[in-house]
Amino acid sequence: MTERVSGNMNVAGPQTRIVFEEVSKFYGEVLGVNRVNLSIPPGITSLVGPNGSGKTTLMNLMTGLVRPSRGRISVLGMAPDDPERLFRVVGYCTQFDSFPRGLTGYDFIYSYLRLFGYPHAQSSEMAVRAIDRVSLADAAGRKIAGYSKGMRQRIKLAQAICHNPTVLVLDEPLNGLDPLIRAETIALFRTLAAEGLHLIISSHVLHEVDVISDQVVLLSNGYVVAEGKIQGVRDEIQEHPMQVLIRCDKPGELASQVFHEDYVVEARIHNDRQGVLVKTRDADRFYLLLNRIAQNGIEIESVAPADDDVLSVYEYLIGTEESTK
Amino acid sequence: MAVHKRSYRSYAGKLTPTWSRFSIITRYALKNLFSSRLLTAYFVCCFFYPLGCAVVLYLNHNLSLLATLNIRQVFAVDADFFLSFLGVQSGFAFVLTAIVGPGLVSPDLANNALPLYLCRPFSRAEYVVGKMAILAGLLSLITWVPGLILFAIESSLAGGGWMWANLGLAWGIFIGSAIEVLVFSLLSLAISAWIKRKLAAGAALLGVFFFGAGLAQAINAVLDTKNGYLVDIGNLLTTVEGSLFGHGKPVGISPESAWIALIAACVFCVALLERKVRAYEVVAG
Repeated sequence: MTERVSGNMNVAGPQTRIVFEEVSKFYGEVLGVNRVNLSIPPGITSLVGPNGSGKTTLMNLMTGLVRPSRGRISVLGMAPDDPERLFRVVGYCTQFDSFPRGLTGYDFIYSYLRLFGYPHAQSSEMAVRAIDRVSLADAAGRKIAGYSKGMRQRIKLAQAICHNPTVLVLDEPLNGLDPLIRAETIALFRTLAAEGLHLIISSHVLHEVDVISDQVVLLSNGYVVAEGKIQGVRDEIQEHPMQVLIRCDKPGELASQVFHEDYVVEARIHNDRQGVLVKTRDADRFYLLLNRIAQNGIEIESVAPADDDVLSVYEYLIGTEESTK
Repeated sequence: MAVHKRSYRSYAGKLTPTWSRFSIITRYALKNLFSSRLLTAYFVCCFFYPLGCAVVLYLNHNLSLLATLNIRQVFAVDADFFLSFLGVQSGFAFVLTAIVGPGLVSPDLANNALPLYLCRPFSRAEYVVGKMAILAGLLSLITWVPGLILFAIESSLAGGGWMWANLGLAWGIFIGSAIEVLVFSLLSLAISAWIKRKLAAGAALLGVFFFGAGLAQAINAVLDTKNGYLVDIGNLLTTVEGSLFGHGKPVGISPESAWIALIAACVFCVALLERKVRAYEVVAG
């Protein structure tokens, strides 16, 4: 499905937002992204999609590393084709493990700060602070070649935040982190977001962004298929059945009572045989029906949406096959 | 409205000049290069011949030694002397290029490191200039720099009259070496950008020179022409340098044609770099 769902991301002016207007990018005949319209506010925004869906292209477009074939992009009111201004406020962390040979963690951050034009003393101070922020102070003097995968991810994160940017674009930043460091990194993201930064995070591991994102942008085959808060996106998908898990004492009887309604697409007993999974096209009418059923002798313990996480939304929007790639 | 409390303050002080930022890449690359003992040893060897020439120049003007040998002057310090000096140093420069050049851009492209450089206030042109400055600096140190030092030594020993009479030689040393440094640097960068394996890139650089010479001969033989020499970069450089010293013995083509061919080669290399040195490689699928 390629229909775009309007979210609730359009609230403030372009000076505080990352705005895509009808942006398309083609690599020759290969589609990168097509007709993207987005307005991303401060906070944590996740770009979610399978490989090849256009996440990295979208990030490269907003950092000016690739130019759009069509459309207009504005990052906090700036055009991305002015690196001297743009990269004062944007930090980018690529998904690739690429480091110049022979450098220590400190040298790596310090040398990139020198590329920004900061003098020696300032670069040194900022490098130490960035390394400290990603909890790598003890390893700063060691060569990056000897770092673990998690340490390399963190030093890459340090190079993205070292110049105190306002927009952080992080391509798969949680890849390879062990649970403890992952939790620390997520806490760092939240701190940065609380400071008013824009954090744009890409991931194909859906559940990890589900819990940290303020907004999500779901991508498939170069198209934005949905955007907004997870709950909001789910509410917008009227044409797809919603899945509800009802815990009750008589699941078989409940299933037979709801199944004859035309807005119920599917009703099946849950694996633990203590509830019914119902797929409905009209949640409001279904809840009214449940009220009536509850008054007629079936004891309902709980009613909960069974698919309100990113994975379910994603499966609805682009199909199960793609989301499991 | 949300209230955001930042735990840092952005730097508002003076920045280093934009034009000088390419040198960060050069500095770190040189540091890395000279961590290799083999390269350091070879680089030191590149100065033996200039040192020998300096000694010979001194002896050439050492009156007591000449009197002992009962000769007025051992040899004339003229265009041939500096042309042969540049010829020897060109050999050293070519080998140095073959060692250093292939590793300049290819590792960054192979490891997708270019986005790391280019997500700064730093352009593709600055990246290329930074990388090129590595080779240009090293090659300069073994070609026109010692050449001009030898010219200065001879000027001080032979007197101001010699210097003014041979000022064109200094110009020839500088321009001849500079065009060589430019061609070697651009060629090796372009090859390094297109061939990701260092060994293969080194072989390709050798191939451009040696295969080019062979191809030139083949074209000349088959088409009964002299224009085949236009693809022989070694010959083009020799022709240009010869013309600068007014002592050239051009093989087949005129100095003007050689200049145009070298400029075309440089433009071609820049076009190759422009196409390849990008933040992201586009693989048509």
